[in-house]
Amino acid sequence: MSNNIANETIDHSRNKEAWTLKRVLTNTYFLNVVSLVLFFLLWDYVAKERIFHDSLARPLDVLNQIITLVSIKYAGSTLWGHIWASTQRVLIGFFIAAVIAVPLGLFMALNSYVNAIVKPLFDLFKPMPPIAWVTIAVLWFGIGETSKVFIIVIGSFVPCLLNAYNGVRLVEPELYDVIRVLGGSRRDQIFHVCFPASFPAVFAGLQISLSVAWTCVLAAELTNSRAGLGFLIKRGMDTHKPTLVLGGMLLIAAAAWLTSQGVGILEKKLCPWKRSIENL
Amino acid sequence: MLEDQESPVKIRVNNLTKSFGDLTVLNDINFTIKKGELLAIVGPTGCGKTTFLNCLSKLMPTTKGEILIDGEVANPRKHNISYVFQEPTCLPWRTVRENVAYGMEIKGVGKEEREERANKIMELVGLSSCADLYPNQVSASMMQRIAVSRAFAVNPDLLLMDEPYGQLDVKLRYYLEDELVKLWRTLGSTVLFVTHNIEEAVYVAERILVLTNKPTSIKQEVVVDLPRPRDLIDPKFVEIRKLVTELIRWW
Repeated sequence: MSNNIANETIDHSRNKEAWTLKRVLTNTYFLNVVSLVLFFLLWDYVAKERIFHDSLARPLDVLNQIITLVSIKYAGSTLWGHIWASTQRVLIGFFIAAVIAVPLGLFMALNSYVNAIVKPLFDLFKPMPPIAWVTIAVLWFGIGETSKVFIIVIGSFVPCLLNAYNGVRLVEPELYDVIRVLGGSRRDQIFHVCFPASFPAVFAGLQISLSVAWTCVLAAELTNSRAGLGFLIKRGMDTHKPTLVLGGMLLIAAAAWLTSQGVGILEKKLCPWKRSIENL
Repeated sequence: MLEDQESPVKIRVNNLTKSFGDLTVLNDINFTIKKGELLAIVGPTGCGKTTFLNCLSKLMPTTKGEILIDGEVANPRKHNISYVFQEPTCLPWRTVRENVAYGMEIKGVGKEEREERANKIMELVGLSSCADLYPNQVSASMMQRIAVSRAFAVNPDLLLMDEPYGQLDVKLRYYLEDELVKLWRTLGSTVLFVTHNIEEAVYVAERILVLTNKPTSIKQEVVVDLPRPRDLIDPKFVEIRKLVTELIRWW
């Protein structure tokens, strides 16, 4: 008796329709492809016409350069070695920042004393661009790995902390009331509502941190390094090889995209209940 | 109704008063609810119905007066008070089944009994088929039914409902009201149902308390001694509905 009325679930599947010309032309994937193809054609045209003289390489030359890099050692390291050098720095710095900043942000939102102590310091350092730390990091830690990781930690720290903090503060207060009325403890409120509710915000913060981390590793490597994707770009500039510069840029984009996908997969695992929002 | 006269008093509210500064919202409210009774409270908009429930549920401290459950001062830690809010309040990170069982989890009910009671209630309200979905995968009306099920599942001493079906369309509301009456009769809970919809009150309640405007007190008690299932166009039903409407309108 009670199963039919009012028992609808939200169904995302769509009915199959026949392929028509209009449907092909308005198909999202088709338009995506058109957009990409036009971009590469424009790039190739600009490069071929030498609008930037010899400083813009043609797309296929860039691709060839990347393929060449795969097969030879460049500056004592294979391409995978360079990619891994940068990725490793990003991952170590990002991990250290996340492990400290996320719990700290959660604590700040939950405890006004912690907040009162940490907030002024955080507000003092927050507006400082992480790249501004490059010089001081080299002075303190030398030109090795430590200084690069240090800059990444500084850069990824801020979004992690901010998002964890705001994630807790934006939890719907009604959900706490549910627990209070049922006689639940503060602990129940924190573990059953506060933490799970702030997960999506925390993960959004992690994604931002990750992209900041890639920015920082690039800045650090451009300043001083002997391996890494930033080093390839720098070497391309010094030896005037636009193919190497553009190839390094593409590889950084690819590596950053892959790590971001990794965080995305982790989020899906940890919050299966989250409604997916496109284009975010 | 049947055992109306014999049932012992479950809830006793004495001199309940609530003021915010100079503004008195609730003024010396006294009433009792019998065990297993479904009492509706209606009143004009803005008469402090939600404040009233927040005081009863102990979410908000009262200025004066006391609320006794079985003769003891009400305490959410000790008594089972359940509250169905106006807005659906499911925990998005728990499946429908886990949401229904959540109240029992807080109350420390054992795992097997939790499962059993949750299954029984989901069966009663027709949620079994979507027990493993997350709240964002079901419709708004179903979310409210999850909240209602969660509230009933703890076998509450007192179940407070704050216009739970106010947001829903008419057809769905009738359906859910029937479902509420079915749950209440099956489980024998003591329910206090707040609404601004007079027809809804007459349809579900055994007794209706009509509130005055602010400062709010009880204007009159109306006993609804109609057999169930109730008929919305039964002359007696219409008569009671008109009586309650007059009481609210008459300022």
